[in-house]
Amino acid sequence: MAAGLQVVFGVQKIFNLACGSFYALGAYAGVSAVGWYASAGGPPALFVVPLALAGLAVGAVGVVVERGLLRFVYDRDETFQLLLTFAVVLMMEDAIRMIWGTSPRSTSGLYLTYGQLQLLGATVPVYNLIVIAASLVIALAIGWLLTRTAFGRIMRAAADNREMAEALGVDMRRVYAKVFTLGTALGTLGGALVIPATAAMSEMGIELIVEAFAVVVIGGLGSMRGAFVGALAVGVLRSIAISVYPELEMLLIYLIVIVVLVLRPRGLFGGAAA
Amino acid sequence: MTLLDQDHQPSRRQFLTLVGAGVGAAAARLGAGPAFAQGGAPVKIGVLAIRAGIAAPVGAAGLRATEWWAERVNKAGGILGRPVQLVVEEESNPKDTVERYRKLVLQDQVEVVLGGISTGVTLALGPVAEDLGTPWLSWDGTTQKGVEETMPNPKWAFKSVDNEVEAIVAGILTPKYFKGIKTVAGIGNDYSYGHDCWESYQAVLKRYLPDVKFVLELFPKLGVTDFTSHIAAIQQSKADLLMCSFWSGDATIIMKQAAAVGLFKTMKGVFTTAGGVHDSLKKEFTPEGLLLGYNTMYFDDPKGSALLKQFVREYKAKHNEYPPYECDHAYFNAESYKAAVEKAAGAAKRWPEKAQVVKALEGIEIESLSGRRSWREDHVQMCSFYQGMTTHKNSYDFVTISPVEVVSTRQAMKPAGAKLFDWISGWKI
Repeated sequence: MAAGLQVVFGVQKIFNLACGSFYALGAYAGVSAVGWYASAGGPPALFVVPLALAGLAVGAVGVVVERGLLRFVYDRDETFQLLLTFAVVLMMEDAIRMIWGTSPRSTSGLYLTYGQLQLLGATVPVYNLIVIAASLVIALAIGWLLTRTAFGRIMRAAADNREMAEALGVDMRRVYAKVFTLGTALGTLGGALVIPATAAMSEMGIELIVEAFAVVVIGGLGSMRGAFVGALAVGVLRSIAISVYPELEMLLIYLIVIVVLVLRPRGLFGGAAA
Repeated sequence: MTLLDQDHQPSRRQFLTLVGAGVGAAAARLGAGPAFAQGGAPVKIGVLAIRAGIAAPVGAAGLRATEWWAERVNKAGGILGRPVQLVVEEESNPKDTVERYRKLVLQDQVEVVLGGISTGVTLALGPVAEDLGTPWLSWDGTTQKGVEETMPNPKWAFKSVDNEVEAIVAGILTPKYFKGIKTVAGIGNDYSYGHDCWESYQAVLKRYLPDVKFVLELFPKLGVTDFTSHIAAIQQSKADLLMCSFWSGDATIIMKQAAAVGLFKTMKGVFTTAGGVHDSLKKEFTPEGLLLGYNTMYFDDPKGSALLKQFVREYKAKHNEYPPYECDHAYFNAESYKAAVEKAAGAAKRWPEKAQVVKALEGIEIESLSGRRSWREDHVQMCSFYQGMTTHKNSYDFVTISPVEVVSTRQAMKPAGAKLFDWISGWKI
């Protein structure tokens, strides 16, 4: 999800609060897809397939939001973007509640389908390892997309200098729609992949958005490497805080943000990309 | 949704004018109070329900039960012949909710306001209700700051059971079901409810097991969806038992993530409030043998009344969920108001003044969904708490409890005017 935020911010200079809702949407779609899959008698071992497909499929919402709403505010002040995307957050929360109801939804026991491993004296569900592997694959795929493909070059060009890219004949509307959809799909896929380990709640998006922004700020706005390192740093430091000094847990993420902003105002990897 | 519809404003105003004229005429003709002449006009009941955020499912449950009640009452001829009309407003933050409360009383001119869940909000509503002089019956909110009562002698405000009662009940039941417990870890949400429950639970358990050690306490923020690090810390603490006061989706999540690392294979568990999301506690990841609290209504109570069974059946049919406890807080509020109006009306069946209704509410006892409930003289709800050991032996895909322990607020809630911790240390055990 942080990756999605980065793609969108980097290219379009949009603060997309709605990425939290996309995450929630992906989670709910994942729960439903797995539910159908299970009732249709699909083998449990392959449940990640419908899960990931559902996550990617609802990413299509991105096109609708971008073409239907966001394109009207590109040239306006950032406050409009914040307001608009926050409005999307509230609407999606209600839409989710109307479609899926108010109770938390979960995928029952699928989390443990792949069993557990003993790793350095701790029990680790294999599914967690699959998610870690999946996020590595996603990170590599985005890296490849950005640096090795024509579309990636256009995206980077658009991020660097929009007018110049347009002058050179790039259709920015299409680029924007594609980029936003890509960002959305990253969010929804993230939501779908994480859902077997947790439960879908209609307000889960809002909770995550603060954290994702902190990660992005730590890593440097618009930097993919930054998002990856930022997420890792926050995750690891938080775990350490909980086992060493639990009171510090909530404070910690903001402390890191402050330290990073004071020492490197553009974030860890913010230099060139932002 | 139609209940929120404000589009009928003009016609309603005309209607009220007509009613007003009718009242005047009737009063002049019969020399009776205004109440008599109003017979047949709808009685407006304000409802405050949380509709967004973490407590939205709780708000929805309260509202659904209130609507179910209103339908039943209207089918049976209303209250003293007047049909019930609900005016629903949203409970959100204290400031906005207070404004909506004023609107309900001053603009919509409701006879009574029902609802209020978050104690942060109801603490602010209490004094406003006293000012405005209209009865207010709170579903689940108290006027406690922490565990201390701030409004010991209210006139118009009627409050829910004290927040910490379910933790006290769990503290009473823990030594009965988990013999030989020496070390306890605790996890709760980082706000008043989480901290108060943990403090009360510790105080009660100490009374029964003076040597028990509390080895770890964790307070993640409300709304967190990943507890893997917390669970790792709990495992490291090697406590004999985990006490958890989560009540929303986080209860489901911690259960699932705990199952993934086999936490409850070695540790006992007490979930004081997770019954609030009981039908999401699936058997696949919720073990048997945990102590689970359903607050004040247990949908599957084998000793449940015909009324409870009918409610559960119709709730399931309409909403495809099994009702949580908030339903009965809401049902009791509404039904006790009706009973108080009828009691105050007396044999003459005259619609009573608001102050008479409030007097009639004090000490009234009625049949609610979960059983008998009453209002204590100082306006606090009296009822029973349902907790028990989780079991997979049922026809659902989620856990239920057996045996069911029923503990009355008479035993587990501090008496009017008492200080919580003094009261607990004064118990004879």
